[in-house]
Amino acid sequence: MTESKLSIVDLTKKYAAGLAPAVDRLNMEVEEGHLVALLGPSGCGKTTTLRMVAGLMDPTAGSIMVDGREITQEPVNKRGMGMVFQSYALFPHMNVEQNVAFGLQMRQVPKAEQKARVAEALDMVQLGHLGKRATKALSGGQQQRIALARALVVEPTLLLLDEPLSNLDAKLRDTMRTEIRSIQQRTRATTLFVTHDQDEALDMADRIAVMNGGLIEQFGSPIDVYERPRTHFVANFIGQANFLTITVGEDVGPASAAGERNYKIEVPGLGHFGAVGASGLTGRSLPVLIRPHRLRASLQPSASVQELKGTVEQVSYTGDTLSIAVRVGDEVLQSQLHTTSGSLPHTGDTAFLSWDPEHAYILPEHAKAVAA
Amino acid sequence: MTTITTENPVPGTREGLESGVLEAAANKRRKRTYLALLIPGILGLLVSFVFPLLYMVRMSFNEGAPDGVVIDTFTFQTYIKPLTDPYYWRVTLDTFRMGLTVGVLCLVVSYPIALFLVRSTSKYKGLLLAIAIAPLLTSAVVRTYGWMVILGTNGLVNTSLESMGLIGSPLKLTNNMTGVTIGLVEIFMPYAILAMISGFGRLSPQLEEAAGSLGASKFKVFMRVTLPLSLPGVFTAFLLVFVMAISTFITPRLLGGGSVQVLATEIYDQTTGLLNWPFAAALSVILLVLFGTIIAIYQRIVQKIGG
Amino acid sequence: MSEARLFKPRFNPAKPIFNIVVFLLYLFLLAPLIIVFVVSFASNQYLSFPPEGFTLKWYQALPSETIFVEGMKVSLIVAVFVTVVVLAIGVPAALALQRFEFKSKAAMEAFFLSPLLTPSIVLALGMVLLFGPLNLNNTYTGIIIGHVAITIPFVIRTTIMSLATADTSCEDAARILGAGPWTVFRRVTLPIIRPGVIAGGVIAFIVSFDEAVISLFVAESGLPTLPVQVLRYVENSADAAVAALSVILILISLAVVVVVERVMGLRKALN
Ligand SMILES: Nc1ncnc2c1ncn2[C@@H]1O[C@H](COP(=O)(O)OP(=O)(O)OP(=O)(O)O)[C@@H](O)[C@H]1O
Ligand SMILES: [Mg+2]
Repeated sequence: MTESKLSIVDLTKKYAAGLAPAVDRLNMEVEEGHLVALLGPSGCGKTTTLRMVAGLMDPTAGSIMVDGREITQEPVNKRGMGMVFQSYALFPHMNVEQNVAFGLQMRQVPKAEQKARVAEALDMVQLGHLGKRATKALSGGQQQRIALARALVVEPTLLLLDEPLSNLDAKLRDTMRTEIRSIQQRTRATTLFVTHDQDEALDMADRIAVMNGGLIEQFGSPIDVYERPRTHFVANFIGQANFLTITVGEDVGPASAAGERNYKIEVPGLGHFGAVGASGLTGRSLPVLIRPHRLRASLQPSASVQELKGTVEQVSYTGDTLSIAVRVGDEVLQSQLHTTSGSLPHTGDTAFLSWDPEHAYILPEHAKAVAA
Repeated sequence: MTTITTENPVPGTREGLESGVLEAAANKRRKRTYLALLIPGILGLLVSFVFPLLYMVRMSFNEGAPDGVVIDTFTFQTYIKPLTDPYYWRVTLDTFRMGLTVGVLCLVVSYPIALFLVRSTSKYKGLLLAIAIAPLLTSAVVRTYGWMVILGTNGLVNTSLESMGLIGSPLKLTNNMTGVTIGLVEIFMPYAILAMISGFGRLSPQLEEAAGSLGASKFKVFMRVTLPLSLPGVFTAFLLVFVMAISTFITPRLLGGGSVQVLATEIYDQTTGLLNWPFAAALSVILLVLFGTIIAIYQRIVQKIGG
Repeated sequence: MSEARLFKPRFNPAKPIFNIVVFLLYLFLLAPLIIVFVVSFASNQYLSFPPEGFTLKWYQALPSETIFVEGMKVSLIVAVFVTVVVLAIGVPAALALQRFEFKSKAAMEAFFLSPLLTPSIVLALGMVLLFGPLNLNNTYTGIIIGHVAITIPFVIRTTIMSLATADTSCEDAARILGAGPWTVFRRVTLPIIRPGVIAGGVIAFIVSFDEAVISLFVAESGLPTLPVQVLRYVENSADAAVAALSVILILISLAVVVVVERVMGLRKALN
């Protein structure tokens, strides 16, 4: 087993007795050099988790370990971490250099070395020329980069980012996303990154922890959480999703992914199709996930493939793609077509839906009756 | 691939795991910090505020003998005189009446300025506001002195009126309640203006404009929209001025010239002139009770309106 | 912009009338200050109208009026000490009231603001009574203690207001970067809330400098402050010396108003 950089064990935070815990026995292992995104809807406990790791907040129970050493009781100013806040939190009464140098001063780094490291950090975020500027005289993106330089210059054991991009406009957000990622990879700083933006998480992270109601619902690589969500919630939160409740039929042999099997499935009353899933699912009634862009829709029935027949209820055109909503029995399924593909459907048309078996994934469990 | 682990993956201490232990320790630390921060202030106020008041309350139950001698005892004797002697009833009533008059007049003269300042979109708004409250930062002694010059027998008002032939002999505007009232109205104006401005929060030019555009006349807009919305500010301002007026000392002393007796001047005379400390203390307690009652009633009303 | 603005408003006679009323009320409000200014330059031997001529004699006489010079000295010393003491105990208290949660917080805050709601004559009597046996009457210590009570609410208010508007994540950032509590306060919190602290200090200074009632009770006979001297002078004499002195004091106050307005906005400081 590789030594984790950060281990979180049964971390729990109850803000007040009687209240449901904001973070509920959370467990996580983060490898050295990884960027881990904490992704989840508003109020799921992301900030709370991050603040406990930083030491700004005391957990109700659980422990936090860095490099195998318990730090749960260590005061915040002794943890040696770096953090970037949503509001950047630059010190308004100091100029750019003074801001970046603050952590080095706290560590009593000699003056000359301070100067060199501040210059280096500012160069890294491409703001070497702004050292003497007042922080008020900086744009949002520049403030953001200064905050990043200030956090990184102390060579933190962990870099913590709480929605660092949410105050930026869309264009700048994309630029900063790339930049943060490349700086992180260069410095190999182990990073926890809070966001509620799935694209950000998929794009930047080595691992994504999808949180819901104080719990991690799934922890895995971006491809994993997208392609092989463990729960209904994860599938729904990351990307768009169609679900059909099906009965799993016969196991027809190993699938291309390790450990997975090909199954025949029955959509009750509508026919038999193919899908993939974990082993041993035969006989169970489970939801199957098909992403809209993998659900083919055509206006003519095909002779060779089994299809679902439905009625187009809604059409929305977005330039590159056409999204349609097709009613099949009681269900409405979303499908995305490329606008280059032949004749385009209209509301009221009959459409025929099909998919490749490897693009239909049987979730290992049912959605909880009421989402937590 | 990293997976979720449910058991403790790293052997090590699990001390921090007990529920609430860390929080309890942190709370204790926090408590120590805020107590340390509060204690100097609390001590300061104990010495300069609480102890003097307590000592005074205690003193009001002592007995005053001639020449400032205080007989240490516990008696309600000192309260009997102010509560039975018609003179003190009159002083108390005069104080009350003065408070009411000053409060009402002060509202009347402050309201237009406050309204003007709230509505103004001028770039000089800040300056005009500063001018309106600048008098607050000059001593009440100086401003009362100014009124003595204006209202005195040879003052601005009398000489002007005389030279215009409007009056034969000077009006008596100082050394009486008229002068005191005029002076106090002006002195409390900045407070009233400030209180009104902060109470006018819900009042907006847009709202008035909307009412106007619906066809309401100016007068109707004022009576039906502006005035009701500004009432909270008006209430607060009135209470503030009333409460300050019934306890004020400098202006009744100077502009009243010894012939205006209110509770505050009475307290002063009992101490410096007559050295009757327990009696002065009893008068002060009465003033405090009056004060507390009015403020309590006011807060009831505010709660009723608010809730 | 509201739509109504797009149309040129009809001429409305109520508006100029309202403006004239406001102007006259401003005049009333400023009347005593204006009049003091005028008579301070009038050559009339006794206070009377109209001014008979222009003179600077009242100003020239001020430095030789020992009671004013003495009073000014006492008032300045008191105000400086009061400001220092009240900042030293008020700022930490404001910090506790704004940055910490505890059960008795609302009550504590009310306690710290309550001297504002106490008649100063009552407080003054309490002080003179308590200070008697402690031999604090007619001493600097006595007056300073007396003024601390009435100035602490202002410092607490302005500081709390500054703290409330300051972004607490700056303090968090400093802690994470390795700063202990004292360093966080000195290097981050204090510089950020400085405008509020300064405003509170300035108001405390002025309130103490102008205070007459407590000073009168506690130290009339032995250590009269300037307002007490002025009070006595006005009661006994009818010349314009006090007017000249008042103009000087008004100008000082005005200068202070401008500074405070610049630093943080006067209304915020006083509300
Ligand atoms: N100081 C607090 N006292 C009580 N409850 C709190 C406090 N801070 C947060 N909470 C609650 O704890 C839960 C988790 O909050 P947290 O701030 O961690 O959410 P988040 O995932 O960061 O959400 P967001 O995306 O909106 O920032 C929420 O239900 C919130 O209401
Ligand atoms: Mg958050």
